[in-house]
Amino acid sequence: MRIGVLTGGGDVPGLNPCIKAVVERVADHGHDVMGIRRGWAGVLGVNPDDPSTVAEHLLPLDRTRVRTVDRTGGTFLHTSRTNPSKVRRDNVPAFLADRAVGEGPFDFTDHALRVIESQGLDVLIAIGGDDTLSYAMRLHDEGVPVIAIPKTMDNDVHGTDYCIGFSTAVSRGIEFIHSLRTSTGSHERIAVVELFGRYSGETSLITAYLAGVDRAVISEVSFDINHLAELLMTDKARNPSNYAMMTISEGAVVEGGEMALSGSADAYGHRKLGGIGVEVGEALKRITGQGIIHQSVAYLMRSGSPDSLDLMVAINYASMAADLAMEGASGRMVALRGGTYTNVPISVTKEGVKRVDVGELYDVEQLRPKVRHVNGKPMFLY
Amino acid sequence: MAVVGILTAGGDCPGLNAVIRAATARVVAGGGTMVGFRDGWAGAMEDHVIPLDRDAVRGILGRGGTILGTSRTDPYVHGQGLASLTPTLRKHEVDVLVVVGGDGTLRSAARLADEGLSVVGVPKTIDNDIPGTDVTFGFHTAVQIATDAIDRLTTTAEAHNRVMLVEVMGRSQGWIALYSGLASGADVILIPELPMPLEEAAGIITRRHAAGHNYSIVVVAEGISPPDAHELPKDAFGFDRLGGVAYDVAPVLERLTGFETRVTVLGHLQRGGTPTAFDRVLATRLGTAAADAALAGTRGIMVAVRGTTIDTVPLTEAGGPIRGVDPALYEVARTFFG
Repeated sequence: MRIGVLTGGGDVPGLNPCIKAVVERVADHGHDVMGIRRGWAGVLGVNPDDPSTVAEHLLPLDRTRVRTVDRTGGTFLHTSRTNPSKVRRDNVPAFLADRAVGEGPFDFTDHALRVIESQGLDVLIAIGGDDTLSYAMRLHDEGVPVIAIPKTMDNDVHGTDYCIGFSTAVSRGIEFIHSLRTSTGSHERIAVVELFGRYSGETSLITAYLAGVDRAVISEVSFDINHLAELLMTDKARNPSNYAMMTISEGAVVEGGEMALSGSADAYGHRKLGGIGVEVGEALKRITGQGIIHQSVAYLMRSGSPDSLDLMVAINYASMAADLAMEGASGRMVALRGGTYTNVPISVTKEGVKRVDVGELYDVEQLRPKVRHVNGKPMFLY
Repeated sequence: MAVVGILTAGGDCPGLNAVIRAATARVVAGGGTMVGFRDGWAGAMEDHVIPLDRDAVRGILGRGGTILGTSRTDPYVHGQGLASLTPTLRKHEVDVLVVVGGDGTLRSAARLADEGLSVVGVPKTIDNDIPGTDVTFGFHTAVQIATDAIDRLTTTAEAHNRVMLVEVMGRSQGWIALYSGLASGADVILIPELPMPLEEAAGIITRRHAAGHNYSIVVVAEGISPPDAHELPKDAFGFDRLGGVAYDVAPVLERLTGFETRVTVLGHLQRGGTPTAFDRVLATRLGTAAADAALAGTRGIMVAVRGTTIDTVPLTEAGGPIRGVDPALYEVARTFFG
């Protein structure tokens, strides 16, 4: 049996140990693992008639190859946001160029199926977020056995309580917030810490909760800038070191304003987010007259090696996924539900949107985390 | 016995607390009395004074920031020079003032010395660009933080086959960029003193990617000129308010190389947090030397690092031309570009 494994979408710490654990679990049963480089772009880029493209995009993985990879962040297989069913003209491989007629985007799923068959890949394990997994679902519908592993630092894949990368992202956020405290306190300023998280406020909420930040603005709840300014001034006055600190999701929405969008859409229709922290900082400065420190943690949130929780989940997800693949299952996504490891149909990811449970975890008046009940909740509160 | 006052002014810098602690302990040990002024010059102008003794400075050696607070208030910009300080200094019978600050602060200190104030300066900046001293405390910590961040960002750059621009502080000079770039093996380092045309940088990146290493780390000093020159806002000392030039550089490099390019601005993360062991030791040596000079009646000087020893130099030296990086060191870094 030959199992293909790939990582798609944004990188997170935990991908490498996940790949390693897949390889080890599969090797235990005497099967082979083929690493597919650069996510679905690796499948797209293979020309079965050209061995050089096979060597470029497929990497046989054994215990020796993956021995040390689990110690670092990123993904040694590399990643991309390519979706073979929606290929932009500039991402079409040269050998497929004559098939790209018209404007695009182009659906090269028939090519993907040919590659998977020609390379003898019996089952694929796709590690990714919503977008990567949506194409996994497509292949499953086309009859290719596929198992999905959810990863995103935003923790926004519907159907699972936890995605690989979230804990490390929060850990980095906490670490940098505490680093900023001395500077913010010395200058008696208000710090606005902007966190990645796309349209989900979970990174802002949980980081603020764990770092003890004064206020947290999340994507799910629009906020009044004057009210926020008032709250922060109260926090600052109450703080013996005379400073205040807030987190804000990159996807946060000012009441009466628009989501800060800039840049161009990627293959999945997303836009490059960011900039709301600067805008809020400028507004707070105008309203309060205080000095503002704006810091975007951005890519540093997914930098470095995975923390212990992400190692734990990455390795366990990998083992479950490998077992499902070897059992001949398809269309399943490994998941955590109510604190328990399980698996669900990949299609669940399309059945809803995972966002912060505002009623349970957030105080919309005070603009900060409010965990109403803990007893009986799973370790991560949801 | 002498009453010594101390204040920290300008941007905060890891090691400030170590200086306060060392100077206080030394003054007290020498039989003097120490008082601290809150929020830089503002405390000396507005009579915000706290007594400092051995107990007041316990446990702060490893803490970032400054227990005295700091501000960008300047006695000449926001007051009438010495006249603005005299009431507070008289009230607390301060004989000599230890001023911990950057070149702007030390320039004001030198003017006050001309007006007759007894001043001892301690040079402070993470940017390492103050003339008259070979190195400043805080620099090593900033370089360490930047290096750690670049190391960590490398995995994400590699995973996405991207060019990652990491903007570091340093004002008009490239010390932090050069040192952190050297320490992390950066593929390109852009510094203000030795400008590299972006076409050349793009060429280095393109050749590197063509050779199969299809991700790159570019360290950008905040003080480089943006590709489209525009007027920068100023702060209270008339300095340019910097930060974000990497966002101007990124689209140009992306256009020239065709590679996806992303930006991380380290910003204030570089001056927060705890000082490195090197900076704690350096700050402690400078703090004790400043206290010794103050108690010995030496005036109008700043303590400085000369080679491996601590020396005193005229305070006016801090007002000289800013100290840039050694071009020979940039050549060393260049060896590893691409």
